[in-house]
Amino acid sequence: MKKLILTLFVFAFGYQVYGQTYNTFEPSKTQFMLRGYGHTGFEYMDTGDEEESTFLGAAFAPIFLYKHSDRLMFEAELEFVLEGNELEVGLEYADVMYVLNKNMTVRAGKFLLPFGTFMERLHPAWINRLPTRPLGFGHDGIAPSSGIGVELRGAFDLGGPKLNYSVYSTNGPRLKDGSEEPEEAGILKFQNYEDNNLAKAYGGRIGVLPFSDSSAELGFSAYSTSGTGKEDSQYEDVGAFLFALDFSYVKPISPLKGIVDIKAQYNNSNVDTATFIEVHEDGDAEEYSFDNQSNSFYAQISYRPTMAGSDFMKKLEFVGRYSDFNAPEGAEWEETSVQYAFGLNYWLSWRSVVKFSYQTTETEGGHDGDGITNTDGLFLHWAIGF
Amino acid sequence: MKKAYKISVAITSILIALITIVACSSTKEVYTPVPDTEVASSEEEFKIEKSGAQLWGEVCNRCHIAPSPADYNDTDWETISLHMRVRANLTEKESKKIEEFLKSAN
Repeated sequence: MKKLILTLFVFAFGYQVYGQTYNTFEPSKTQFMLRGYGHTGFEYMDTGDEEESTFLGAAFAPIFLYKHSDRLMFEAELEFVLEGNELEVGLEYADVMYVLNKNMTVRAGKFLLPFGTFMERLHPAWINRLPTRPLGFGHDGIAPSSGIGVELRGAFDLGGPKLNYSVYSTNGPRLKDGSEEPEEAGILKFQNYEDNNLAKAYGGRIGVLPFSDSSAELGFSAYSTSGTGKEDSQYEDVGAFLFALDFSYVKPISPLKGIVDIKAQYNNSNVDTATFIEVHEDGDAEEYSFDNQSNSFYAQISYRPTMAGSDFMKKLEFVGRYSDFNAPEGAEWEETSVQYAFGLNYWLSWRSVVKFSYQTTETEGGHDGDGITNTDGLFLHWAIGF
Repeated sequence: MKKAYKISVAITSILIALITIVACSSTKEVYTPVPDTEVASSEEEFKIEKSGAQLWGEVCNRCHIAPSPADYNDTDWETISLHMRVRANLTEKESKKIEEFLKSAN
């Protein structure tokens, strides 16, 4: 009897005991990954009247990837930034994606908008070759960076050349009517988490890679909405149409013993003319309107001597960038800015870079005044992707 | 602006319809059956496909420096490949070949 009980016990629990003792470490069907990037550094700025220098608190952007199957995935990126003595937390994107077939993927949630390529592909600190973004991107920029909605995207192999596309619908932008910040009346804000009207934004991008080595890419993006103002307000039907042209060329060039990387993007924003109210210091209110058209452009070239004889030289990168930004004449935020930036990078690994750069910006108008200001900056940043 | 909006909505709708038709209809290979030997010889003669290593060098460098295969294990590369396929709008062939190369070289 004892032998029988012992035999049954071994059969009943033996497998579990074996399984617990000898874990096979086979990969699970679902996979979770934590990736992301961070950066820190030092900045010195000189506006002529004022000088500032500061060590930058580290910015940290964890990316969460959950692969449910070969077709279904969830991705999200948080951003923690120390700014103005406060910790700012942002949700860059959080979306679920499903591969419908080899040419089509659907995404839904908050996703980076393919308006050109800079914000979608090039803005992370370990990818961006300079410590700053070109004019026209980021805070008060005219290029939308993300949106909440649904998107179809994919790519086609044309037997050498390639074509990629994306079409999407999102909540669209929100027009600042000046009731809270009069100096920003007419600016589009793209953080429209809960839609302020019934009008949705529609947009997309088509990219063509004409050469079989994928060295060049030309892209056209458009973004349009029939309404940007709050529902039942006088701005409800103020529409907007934005477009962008982008170009990329990355190629190892033997006579130059290195890789040349050229990027460029032109953004144009056209918002319907609307009437805003300016309240003077004496309390008098005055109506005004302006032709609400803005544009920005940047072109960047970088060179890495990857075929140089010296290991030190191979890790260097030389960067130059031109960018400009033109905000509408007659707006409180009327501005014309031109910026030149030059940088020298040292790559510690394929995803860790120390960037040293000098940047000079000439601004006419803008939030800070009507005159011309020249701002020079020196930046030393260290970025790492993980 | 209304006109531009209507045009963009129309173009978007047409694009979605066309892409859906093309994408869905291209999931199956349309071909006329030919003997295996003939296919093999014609492929050898005319089809010079790029290797995963070559695509890894060309495609990844479009945005960032091509990653070191040793930095992640096979399961991680599978996750990263799917993520990058969507993020960078790569073709299925590109992402699969690069993934195979990274898994073979790590």
